[in-house]
Amino acid sequence: MLCFTPSDNIFKKSVLLAGILLLFCSIPAGSEPAKATLIQAVMCESIESYQPVNPSVVFPISQGEVFCFSNFDPVLEKTIIFHKWYKKNKLIFTMRLTLVPPKWSSFSRIQLRNEDKGPWRVEIRSDTDRLLQTLRFSMAD
Amino acid sequence: MESVFYLFPGFRWQDALDILLNTYILFRMYVLFRGTNVFRGLVAITVLWGGGQAAHSLGLIVTNWAMQGVIAVAALIVIIVFRNEIAGVLQTKNLKSFLWGIPQYQFHTPLDIISQSVRELARKKIGALIVLPLKQGMDSVVQGGTPLEGKLSQQLLKNVFWPGSPMHDGAAIIQGDQIICAGAILPLSKNDDLPSFFGTRHRAAAGLTQSTDALVIVVSEERGEITVFKESSYHRVPDASALKKLLAAHAGDDSSPRRVMKQTVELALVALICLAGVTGLWASFSKGMETLAEHEVPIEFINPDQKMEIVSSSASSIKLLISGARPLIKSTNPEQIEVKLDLSGARVGDNTLDIAAKNILLPPGIRLKKITPPKLSVTLDALVEKELFVQPHWVGSLPDNLVMKQAQPLPEKIWVTGGGLALKGITTVFTEAIPLDQLIASGALSAKLVPDPPSLKFNNHSRVRIQYSIQEKKAAGQAP
Repeated sequence: MLCFTPSDNIFKKSVLLAGILLLFCSIPAGSEPAKATLIQAVMCESIESYQPVNPSVVFPISQGEVFCFSNFDPVLEKTIIFHKWYKKNKLIFTMRLTLVPPKWSSFSRIQLRNEDKGPWRVEIRSDTDRLLQTLRFSMAD
Repeated sequence: MESVFYLFPGFRWQDALDILLNTYILFRMYVLFRGTNVFRGLVAITVLWGGGQAAHSLGLIVTNWAMQGVIAVAALIVIIVFRNEIAGVLQTKNLKSFLWGIPQYQFHTPLDIISQSVRELARKKIGALIVLPLKQGMDSVVQGGTPLEGKLSQQLLKNVFWPGSPMHDGAAIIQGDQIICAGAILPLSKNDDLPSFFGTRHRAAAGLTQSTDALVIVVSEERGEITVFKESSYHRVPDASALKKLLAAHAGDDSSPRRVMKQTVELALVALICLAGVTGLWASFSKGMETLAEHEVPIEFINPDQKMEIVSSSASSIKLLISGARPLIKSTNPEQIEVKLDLSGARVGDNTLDIAAKNILLPPGIRLKKITPPKLSVTLDALVEKELFVQPHWVGSLPDNLVMKQAQPLPEKIWVTGGGLALKGITTVFTEAIPLDQLIASGALSAKLVPDPPSLKFNNHSRVRIQYSIQEKKAAGQAP
């Protein structure tokens, strides 16, 4: 797992704070407020310069590894998310990732083996197990 | 009463029929052969068989072996020696009397007519030879003769033996109230002890009574004497009344109520003895030949909730140890045994069901000894509808320079019906394997959905359309 923080900007911070407040007010009573907003999630071949390379839905085994890239902006408070990797409908493993304000990108990855061929999905879930996004892909020859 | 059922558990109607049928056969054998040497021979063989069984149960190997040999020889001797008696019984022309009637033999013979006729013939010194058969057949010992089958009368009988008659030299055979044959030739006795004044008629009478149970009346042509031969012995008869007494004794001509009652009691007693004997024999066979067998029988689930399905069962068949008479056990196969488990009280999830005797239907006469396993775990699931995501299952490979950016199924979700437990962890249904090798540009294709688990039912769609987007792959380091 690799995490990084972009540089801060006071103006951006102010706008972000206003947006978060707006978002918080719009949450109906009884629902939990989002601690982080997912703005991008893709499966990709690799990550370079904090950006996903060749996002795809089919990955050859020969490639060696597959990445699940998720980008949160804003992150209101330090929190955790989960990347849950499923082969077909069976949970293979769960990656626990930490998000740090004000925004954060994180990824998880899996080494590819011949036995891993087939349909996969990664569920990105919040610390309260709320499903944020599902990414579906296949591992092929 | 309970002890009777304990002794004969699983008593079937076939067993009752078996016992009654054999009782009747035994009873008929007694009725047909009573008073004959064959019957005495059969009694002797039965006693030998009983001795053999006793020797067998005591472990007397040689004695049992010898008994078996003696029984076989005795049976052969009875058949050979008493063949005439057997033939007399079996050669009946009336099947009804063979199967049902009580043989009356000479009951209806008009003895007065015979005795008076014989007295007249003796008085006139007309030679006569009259045969009154009893139970044994005479076909093998009597030769020739002219069938008459005429109703017995003094005139007819005197005419038969009138010196001018062509049949007067032979014997007249009287059966019931008919002269069935005249002019018959009887075997001559080779006994040297007969009086010297006995002529051919006397020797013929002695010869016949030595080999059959018939009574023969001889009227001497020279002396006008009446002699009665029976069972190798002879009696001189002074008058008609004495002759009638002898004939009555021979024919059993006593139709008085007392005799009828005596005969009825005798036959009823014999019937009871036959019934008891055959029942005992059946009991010894059915108990003594009891054996065990094990069958694996499939389980049939009954009364299931129509909204539920059986997801799993710890066993699909059970092993039953059964016991019963060897012939019944041999003829029993698993298809004749039913194991039914009632699911009416079962709930969704894991259920433990006891398998008891009430769940097992066995053929009559077969008893249950052991059930393996005695309990069964059955998991039931309620049928539910659920909306699942659709995901394509890609196989093969794209050209190295291409990458599939997106694949969108249409519809994105479908409704399925399946067991609630089975669908619990399922959020996605997958397509059949879709080969990538021929795909070089964006497009759309149709793919069939694969039910997993197989019990899954698709409510509306069994195929979906996949729209896919293929692009050139960016080289490493190239800006996104």
